Formats: sequence, structure tokens, C-alpha cells
Amino acid sequence: MLRILLEKELRDIIYSTKFAITFAAAAVLVILSFYVGTRNYHESVREFEAARAADATNISSLNDWMQASHRVFRKPQALEVLVNGVTNDVGRTTDMRTSGELNLINSRFSADPLFAVFRFLDLNFVVIIVFSLFAILFGYDAINGEKEAGTLKLVFSNRVSRASFILSKLLGSVLALGVPLLIPLLIGCLMLLGSGIPMSGDEWVRLGFIMFAGLLCFGVFLTLSIMISAMVTRSSVSFLLSLVVWIFSVLIIPKGSVLLASQVATVPSMDVIESQKRKFSSDQMARRMKEMQQWFSTRAMSNDTGFAATFGAFQDSVMKAYEQERANFYGRLNEDWRNKKDWQEKWAFGLSRVAPTAIFQIAAMNLAATDVEMKYRYQQELNRYQDGYAKFIKSKTGSMADYMRVVIKRYSGTDSQEEKKKNLNPTEIPEFLEQPRALGSAISASLLDVGLLVVLNALFFAGAFFSFLKFDLR
Amino acid sequence: MLRISYKSLIVINEGTVMDQPNVLEAQKLTKVYEDGLCALDHVSFSVKAGEIFCLLGDNGAGKTTTINLFLGFLNPTEGTPFINGIDVTKDPLAAKQHVAYLSDVVMLYPNFTARQNLDFFARIGGRHNLKRDDYYNVLRQVGLQEKAFEQRLKGFSKGMRQKVGLAIMIVKEAPAIILDEPTSGLDPKAANEFLAILHQLRAQGRAVLISTHDIFRAKEISDTVGIMSEGKLLAVKTRAELEHENLERLYLDYIQGKVAA
Repeated sequence: MLRILLEKELRDIIYSTKFAITFAAAAVLVILSFYVGTRNYHESVREFEAARAADATNISSLNDWMQASHRVFRKPQALEVLVNGVTNDVGRTTDMRTSGELNLINSRFSADPLFAVFRFLDLNFVVIIVFSLFAILFGYDAINGEKEAGTLKLVFSNRVSRASFILSKLLGSVLALGVPLLIPLLIGCLMLLGSGIPMSGDEWVRLGFIMFAGLLCFGVFLTLSIMISAMVTRSSVSFLLSLVVWIFSVLIIPKGSVLLASQVATVPSMDVIESQKRKFSSDQMARRMKEMQQWFSTRAMSNDTGFAATFGAFQDSVMKAYEQERANFYGRLNEDWRNKKDWQEKWAFGLSRVAPTAIFQIAAMNLAATDVEMKYRYQQELNRYQDGYAKFIKSKTGSMADYMRVVIKRYSGTDSQEEKKKNLNPTEIPEFLEQPRALGSAISASLLDVGLLVVLNALFFAGAFFSFLKFDLR
Repeated sequence: MLRISYKSLIVINEGTVMDQPNVLEAQKLTKVYEDGLCALDHVSFSVKAGEIFCLLGDNGAGKTTTINLFLGFLNPTEGTPFINGIDVTKDPLAAKQHVAYLSDVVMLYPNFTARQNLDFFARIGGRHNLKRDDYYNVLRQVGLQEKAFEQRLKGFSKGMRQKVGLAIMIVKEAPAIILDEPTSGLDPKAANEFLAILHQLRAQGRAVLISTHDIFRAKEISDTVGIMSEGKLLAVKTRAELEHENLERLYLDYIQGKVAA
């Protein structure tokens, strides 16, 4: 009996005009998201390569490492284009310094503010908006619609058990709607393969998990709307309820949870932190100037190399101490801010997990490594690179102090014509190699959310099942 | 005459119904809802093979509640409905194997063709081995135009859908047939065709229970009429008893309490 009912359910959905239209729309949007993603990726890679080339040209036009100003650029990652996450908000360029805080500037949205308004079409958007609506459109009248059409009574005037009917309804809907959604997703994967985007094995696995999470998110809305349909007699009411759930899930809960979290866990703004840093820095500068005046007051100025070397050594020692002091202060400020931010984010994410769409988004961002931690992970990579870069610059200039290198140069007396002719070789600069987030780390970070989606599917599946056992068939 | 063979059924001549076994039987059926509303109050009657029993009453008289109890959609507060001797409350699935049902709302599956609808309901009704031609034959019997056999039900009129519903009912070959307001919303021609098919089903020995508020059709088609009001079966009259009676007057007298039940 289950087979007959399941077959009917599959046919009833697939033969419908509603399915043809909504599936076509969903398929086009999925494929479009892959297409837009691949185009964006190639565009980003072009910009990245151009920026790197410009940086190399700039450096090679110089003949003194003391004047070199190296920039590091964030390399586009393949999965970023499918799940944008915070990618477009995070700066892509960093002015590399041998010490001090490194800032990320020139984010995609700051460069193209129009995209900040309308955002990019990515797979994440398609799943959250389109898949969920797609599911609701088919689930909201799954049971009460049959009652209104009189088919429920007709079916149950036969030897059909409620359990087999609702099972066929749930399984049939999932199969008839979920499996066809795999087709545009697979076409999208083929487009990725054909577009020349270098995808590692890890990235394919992560993409597989993202698609799995997307289908789970779809399943949650489908089973939820079928459950509502089995709890409410009229399909117009269940449609309204499903729509309200959708609006809360997609629009209100994620945004509301962020607002609520900001009330529960307050975090000082970046402006406050920056002004504290600036005040500390200017105090430090004042003290430093005083020390320099004292140093010069006890010594006679000279053009010889001995003086320059002594001054350089003094600068390095002062710089080291001040840098350390500043690093400690900034570190404390940053850590305090990070802790508060972490706490706020935990609240925001915790609260937003009431919404299945938010759960999917968190999971997908973790898998694509475009989550809110992306900026901090990238900054850690930059900080690691900064150490190597500082060593390299010291090996070339004898000093790590960026802004005092010119001063050292002025007093070094080694500014010969011969040296000026030798242009710098930018390939000597250690290459910045960003380590992609490890597969294990990405999967373990998303496990909770993927698990939640599985649990919600099971919960609403059971809810629909037991609601129907009590459903008034009359 | 129906062209499909019903080997399990016997052709019954009018007048021999009394000798037949009860196929549908209501024994003191009572339904009191949780809010205290008594929808059905100790209703007893039986429908024999080859008999058309018409439950006549206004909206809220208890006709549909009676049908819902026979189909197991409701559990009686008291009493027992039997289908072919099977207690519906004890084994509803087994009982349903012996009954075919048609309601007033026959939307069916609009994305399926007439034949696909018939195929689905035939299979869940236990008829697994029917071929396309078998379905076409039944659809012809109920008077559906050939060109509509493989058309989706989306564009069907109510009369056409009702014909498909009839075909679904026929193809199950159940000894008991229950119809809830089957002619409501049908034009006179379609209603007459429908009643003609019911006569044929009776001739094949089916026990037919119809609920209606259409007094004239009730008199025209029924072997027995049960007059219901406010959950009670006030009177049961046979065709012979009604032959010289004005059923409309009788019905009004009963429901207005002018005649003792």
C-alpha cells in the first residue's frame, strides 16, 4: 500500500504545473548562483593578480628596501563565491608593516557599495529564500488540501492506514521535491568543474556538505509545513501560518537575535577601541619624542656611520620597548573586545538558531570558511606572516622600525650612486601563503548546525506523523 | 446494463430484497461530541444486498455522521456499525474492503487524468491487475466521453468529475456502496444518468446507502427511505409504503413533530 501511495504522491507533485513553474524558477536560480559565483571568482582573481602585479611593479621601481611598502592581498577562495558569508565585508588589502597592528582595507563592499545594498546572488541566498519558499508552497496544503478536495475521505474509505498515508506524503514530498533540486545543484558543480576554478578535494567535500545542509534546510521547511497542514483544517490558514513561520525564520529571528544579543551582551564599538588606541599611541609618541630629545641633547650630531649605527641601535631598542608596550596594550584591548564580541556572537547565534535558515547559514559559512571568524583567522595568518616579513626587512635594512628607516638612511652615509641603480627584486619578499581552513575544523564547526537540521527534520517529520494520526478526516 | 462482469455479485430482481442478507447495518448508533452535542441518537437500520436505502433529512440531521461512522472516520459513543458483518469499530480496515464511497465533493486529483485517478483508487481498493482497457470500459459505462479518458481532471465539470467518482466506486466491486449527497450540484441530465447507474448497481446486488435532502430523488430511487431529524431516525418507509404517500408531506410532518416517531 505504501508503494502505491508513494507513487501517487510523486506523480501528483511532478505532474503539477505548480511544480513545473517553481522547480524551473529554483533550478534557474541555483544555476545562476553558480554562474554568478564563478564569474565573481574569476573577477576577484583578476583583481587579485592585478593588485599583486602592481605591488611588485611598485617595489621593483625602488632601489632601497627602506623605501619599500609591501602590500598583501587576500586571495579569493573558491567556496567564497557560493557562500559569501562575511567575505565581501572583510578587507582584501593589507599594508604590510614590520610591526604594529595590521589593518584590512578595501573590502568588496567598500569598493562596490552597490553590491552592499543589493548583495550578490549566492547559493546561501537561494537555499534560504527560494528553497524554503519552494518547500512551503508544496507543504502547506499537503493534508488539509486533500481534505478540502474530498480525496482524503475517498482514500480513507479504502483499506488505507493513516500511518502509511502520512509516511507516503512525507517521503513522497521529500523525494519528489528534494531529488529534483539535486539536478541544478549537480549542474552547478559541473559548471564549477568546467569554469576552471581550482577546487581541492577538501573543497569538494565541503561543497557536498553545504548542499547536504541546504537540502536538510529545505526538508525542515517541507516537514514543518506538512505538520502545520496536518494540524490546521483549512489550507488558507495553514498557508498563512507557514508564511508567518517563513517570515520569522528568514527575516525576523536572525535580525532580532542580533539586536537582542547586543542588548544582552554589550560590546564597545570599534570607534571607542580605536580612539583608546590612538590616545595611547599619541601619549607614547609624546614620551618617545621626549626620550629622543634627551638622547640628542646628550650627543653631538654627526654624519658618520658610527653615529647612524648608534642612533639606529637606540631607535631599535626604543622601538622594541614601545612596540612591546603598545602590543601589550592593544592586545589587552583587542582581547577584551574579542571576548565581549565572542560572548555577543554566542548569544546572537544561539538565539538565531531558532530559525532553520539561520542554522543553515551558520553551517554553510563554517563549511565555506566565510564565517564571522574568517577575519580573525586571516589576521592571524597575517600576523604570522608579519614576523617573517619583519625578519626579511631587517636582513635587508638592518632595522625593523618602518618609519625610522628613512631617518637611519639619512644618517647612514651609504647612499651611493651605485646602490641606487640596483632595482629591488620583489620575488625576494617572502610569499604570503594563506592556509585554507582545515576540512576537519570546518566540518566540526558545522556539525552542531547540521545535526540541528537533522534533528529538526526528524522532529517535524514526527510532528506531522503524529498530528495526522489525530487528524479529523471528515 | 453494466458491461463489466461482477462475478461475485448476484443479479437481484426487485421484490426479492427482503430475502437478502444485511450488508450495511447500524445498531443503535449514537454519537455525542465532546461539547455535549448529540449528533446521532440510537439510530438503527439495515441495508440488504440489492437494496437502496435513502437517509433523508435536513442539514445537521445526522446523515453524514452516520456515514462517517460506517467509514470509521468517527467512533460511535454507543452502538455498532457493521459492513458485511464486520464491526467497523473493531476492524475498520477490513470493513472498508467491502465498501465503496462517494462524497458530494469529488475534486479527485486534478493533475491526474481520469484513467490515472481510476487506476490509483482501484489499486488502493485492492484491484491491482486491471488494464487500461478495463478502466476505459468502466469510464464508458458511467458515460464519460472517450476524449476525456486521458485528460487531466483540472478542466472537468462537476458532472464529469462525478462520473469519474462513480467509476471509482464501481471499479472497487464492493458489495456495499455509500453515497453522501451524490446528486448535489449536478444538472438534471447528469443527475438522471447518475441515478440510472445506481439502478444498475442495485440490480447487481449491491447494498446502497444514500444520504440526501432531495425528497423527489429519494422517492424515485429508494427501496427504503429513512427520515432523519436532529440525530434521530424518525421513520423508515419502504417503497410499497410510500407508493400512495406524499413523501414531502410525510417528511415535513415528521420533522415538525406532527407525527409521532
